[in-house]
Order: sequence, then structure tokens, then C-alpha cells
Amino acid sequence: MLDYLLQRGLLSLVTLAVISLVVFTGVRLIPGDPARVLAGTDADEAGLDEVREKYGLNDPIPVQYLRWVGLALRGDLGESIRTREPVARTVAMKLPITLELASLSLLVALAIAIPAGVFAALRRNTAWDALANGVSLCGLSVPNFWLGIMLILLVSVRLGWLPASGFVPLLEDPLGNVKRMLMPAFVLGTGLAAVLMRQTRNAMIEVMSADYIRTAYSKGLRQRAVVLRHAIRNGLIPVVTILGLQMGALMSGAVVTEQIFVVPGFGRLIVEAVFTRDYPLVQGVVLITASAYVLINLLVDLSYSLLNPRIRIRGAARGA
Amino acid sequence: MGPDGTPGGWLARGWRRARRRPASVAGALVVLGFVVLALGAPWIARTDPLKIDWSQIRKPPSLAHPFGTDDLGRDGLARVVWGTRISMQAGVFSILFAIAIGVPTGLVAGYYRGALDGVVMRLTDAWLAFPFLILAIGLVTILGPSLVNATLAIGLGATPTFIRLTRGLVLAAQEEDYVQAARALGGGDARLMARHILPNVVSAILVQATVSIPTAIIAEAVLSFLGLGVQPPAPSWGTMLNAAQQFLESAPWMAWWPGLAIFSLTLAFNLAGDGLRDALDPRDY
Repeated sequence: MLDYLLQRGLLSLVTLAVISLVVFTGVRLIPGDPARVLAGTDADEAGLDEVREKYGLNDPIPVQYLRWVGLALRGDLGESIRTREPVARTVAMKLPITLELASLSLLVALAIAIPAGVFAALRRNTAWDALANGVSLCGLSVPNFWLGIMLILLVSVRLGWLPASGFVPLLEDPLGNVKRMLMPAFVLGTGLAAVLMRQTRNAMIEVMSADYIRTAYSKGLRQRAVVLRHAIRNGLIPVVTILGLQMGALMSGAVVTEQIFVVPGFGRLIVEAVFTRDYPLVQGVVLITASAYVLINLLVDLSYSLLNPRIRIRGAARGA
Repeated sequence: MGPDGTPGGWLARGWRRARRRPASVAGALVVLGFVVLALGAPWIARTDPLKIDWSQIRKPPSLAHPFGTDDLGRDGLARVVWGTRISMQAGVFSILFAIAIGVPTGLVAGYYRGALDGVVMRLTDAWLAFPFLILAIGLVTILGPSLVNATLAIGLGATPTFIRLTRGLVLAAQEEDYVQAARALGGGDARLMARHILPNVVSAILVQATVSIPTAIIAEAVLSFLGLGVQPPAPSWGTMLNAAQQFLESAPWMAWWPGLAIFSLTLAFNLAGDGLRDALDPRDY
């Protein structure tokens, strides 16, 4: 087990190192003087010198890289060109909003996908199964930004049930916040729900044909008890893995969804940063997102090994 | 007789299975229809998609303009038809790019294994850690927004999938007796890879492509919607939706058609892909 943890941890560290190299190189690929790139076009000579000094831009490239990584590890990702605010603080302000959106949409996705997937698996090859698969295929195919626009058109413009856009902080006005987050969370959740539903269905079909399920039935347990107490636990293991891999899609989706519903989160921040050529901000956001993805997947892998004892045993056997 | 002992081999087998899956056949036909639209756009769209007509601003669908007109009086139908071409270009070329880089890399990594394989796998790990849109945003920041750069970014985003897929299949194929036999007979590396291993990979790559192309089409629309892809006034479905967003109350039809086009094309691709996966799966007779 410890062996496995160590191995996974080391691999993640290597991945993080490669990511930082890629991001570092990316900024050097932007045409022009790197000091000018990092300080902004309206910076004066003093500002340029300050940036050159801070990042050691006159040093050899490997030294520059190490210096930059050192600063990043201490949480110094530079300053936004536009607002002169530290990038780390700007991100920290926006992140909770996106995390709220992502958590809500995850909730939506799980609430749709797991019951639907289990149901489709139990009614395999019936009209219900076909219907669930059809809906899931549509969910996979519909571009979420169009779904968002259509929802605004129907729910806000036609029916006037929910506000089309805008944002109020959760702590100031919880009800107003949820009202405005409902549609974005639904839009962001549908694609994920489609993927998870398919996964749940396939996993449940496999689990339901296992010997121990037959044993449970032959003990005289009702289907309800067999499914809820015995099958679901194993059936959800692969779903957890897929969930980790879908985090990237969720982050990409959040960028678009925030744009449509004018949610002032992480996603809107990065799009604005690109348009204002705020390179330090783009650099910081890209670095943070990629690192977060690696860490989330590390956690998923570890939780997976906790959920599934067979992996633990294999790891232990290798260690012995 | 085909290799599986039935008349006609894989083509006939594929057809027999296709008949069992009418939804997939319908999907394939719709995809074909969009291909015709993309290739024949100049002849099918009778009006110029860029022609501005100030007397026809935001007109609802009518006989003259079946899809209505947009905020500059341009014909919605013509723009959707020409948009097909941009979407298809972005979808197909980006995945071809991903295949052109991913398949040889995965082939070499899986074939030689060792340190090279280790490096390639760590690189794809890191690569996959960038959510697609974040990667595209990073690239577009460096290169500037355009259709070519968006296609490049989408292709780069899809590349690791093809590297990993190919590598896995190559690792499996190498264990096959006939590959071992060919090696024992003195087949060189290049010959072994091209003649004996690559054919094992082709059908899986084809199936993956049918999954990746619709994703790439949506990706192009997303990038253009955000203003990071095709630039106006070019008629991309994404840029059209971007414009439509400002006129949801007064001209909702501007948002209907481009979105419906993306939805039906990706749905058709997914349906056709499901059928293709079924038809090419050698395990299922």
C-alpha cells in the first residue's frame, strides 16, 4: 500500500514538474522582451527593471526557471498587468465562486446519473434502457453553451422564472445566489451526467452478473436490498475514477458557462485575461488549473485504492 | 469467403450489423449530408453569407430568409451552411493532426518501450493535465486567435489520447504469436511496425476518431463563441451564437439554427460512431 502511495505520489511530482516547464516555456514563446511581456506594455523603465530583477531575466534560462518555480511554490505568481493585484490573490477571490458552481453541477450530475444508470442497468435491453441511453447520447452531443442560451431563452425570457444572469455572493443573499446558480449548474452538470450515467449503467450490469449477487438473491433478499446494499458499492468504483478524469472537462465547461451566465468566477477571469493580454494572470491560472487537475486525480486514485481492497492487496504483495 | 468464414468478409458483416442498427445508419447519413453541405456550400447557399443588408436587420424566418436574418441583415441559412464548412474543417483537420502526431509516437513508444516510453508517458500525463480549454486558451494567447490556431490547439489537445490508445494496442499486438513469428523470421523493426502491428491499430483509431471529431467540432464552436477561434465576420456556428446572445429577446432565431446545427451534427457523429464501433469490433460475431 505504502509502495503504491509513494509510486503514485512520485509520478504526480514528475507530472507537476513537466507542467511547470511547459507553462514557463509557453511564456517565453510570446514574441517580444519577456520583461515587457510580464510587466505590460504601459510599464516604464523602472517597472521593467523591477521585473527583470525579480525573475532574474539576465540569468541563464535554467536559473530563471528555478527562480520562477521557487517563487510559485511560495505562492508568488506575479502581478496582474491590468489590476496590479497579486495573481494569487485575484485567483483566490474568484475560485470560491467557481468551486460553488462546480460542486452544484456535480450534485446535479450525480443526482441524475446514478439513479438513471442503475435503473437502466436493472431494466437492461428494455424500452426504459433505450430511453435512458438516448437521453444520455443527447446530453453528450448538446453543446453546453447552446443549452445555456436555450435555457435562458425559455426559463428567463419566456417564462420569467429565474434571472438570466448576474451574481450575488452566497453569504449575502443565499436564496438569490442559488436562484442564479441553478441554471448554470444544470447546464454544466448535463454533460457530466451523460458520461456518468453510461459509466454507472455499464458498471452495474457487470456487478449484477457477479457470483456474490447471485448468492445474495438466493439468500432470498429482495432486489431492492441486493442493489442498495450489495451492488451499488462496487458498481460506483469505476464511476469515481471517471469523475476524476472528468474534472478537466468540468473546468473547461465552467469557463464557458460562466461566460454565458455572467458568473464572475475563475472562468471569466481567464477569458478576460486573454483579451487584455494579461500574461502573468494567464500563466498563473493555467499553472493552477493543471496542478489542481493532477492533485485531484492523485486523490481520486488514492480514494479508489481505499474503496477497492484488491488494489491495496496487490500493492502490498508487490512491496513484500 | 472472408477470414471469419462468412461470405464477403468484413464489409458484408458490417452491412449485416448496420441493418440491425438503423439509428447508426441514420446518423451516418446525416453526417454525409453535412459533408455535402460543407463541400457544396457555394452552390447550396444562394445568398452571400457576408452580405450586409441594413433593410433586413433581425427579420424572423420567412420565405426569403428561411432561418431569418441576423443583426447585420445577413441571411441565417447561408451563414449556417457556410458554417458547416468551418466546423467540418476544424473537426476533421484537428483530429487528422492529432492522428498524424499521436499514432507514430504511440507506435514507437509501445514498440521500443524502455526509457523512451517512460518519457513519452510522463509527457502525455502532463499534457492531459491541461483541461482542453485551458490548453487552447494558453496556445491562443501565444499564437493569436484564428481558425488555423484553434484547429491546432484542438488537435494538440486530442493528441495524447491517440498516443495512449496506439501505445496500448501496440503493446498488446506485440505479444501475438504472428508478430513474434515475423520477428523470428528476421523482419526488421520498420517492417514489423508497418506490416504487422499497425493494421491492428487502424480500426480502434477509426472508432476513436468518430468520437473525437464531434468533440473537436464542439470545441471549435466553444473557442469561436468565446472569441478565441474564428474571427467575425466569418460564419462560424460559434461566432453566430456569440452574436445571438445579445439579441435573445428580440431575435431568438439567431440562436436556434447554429446551435441546432452543432447538436444534430455531433449527435449524428456519435450515433454513427456507436455503429462503427459495433461493426468493427472483431470480438462480437
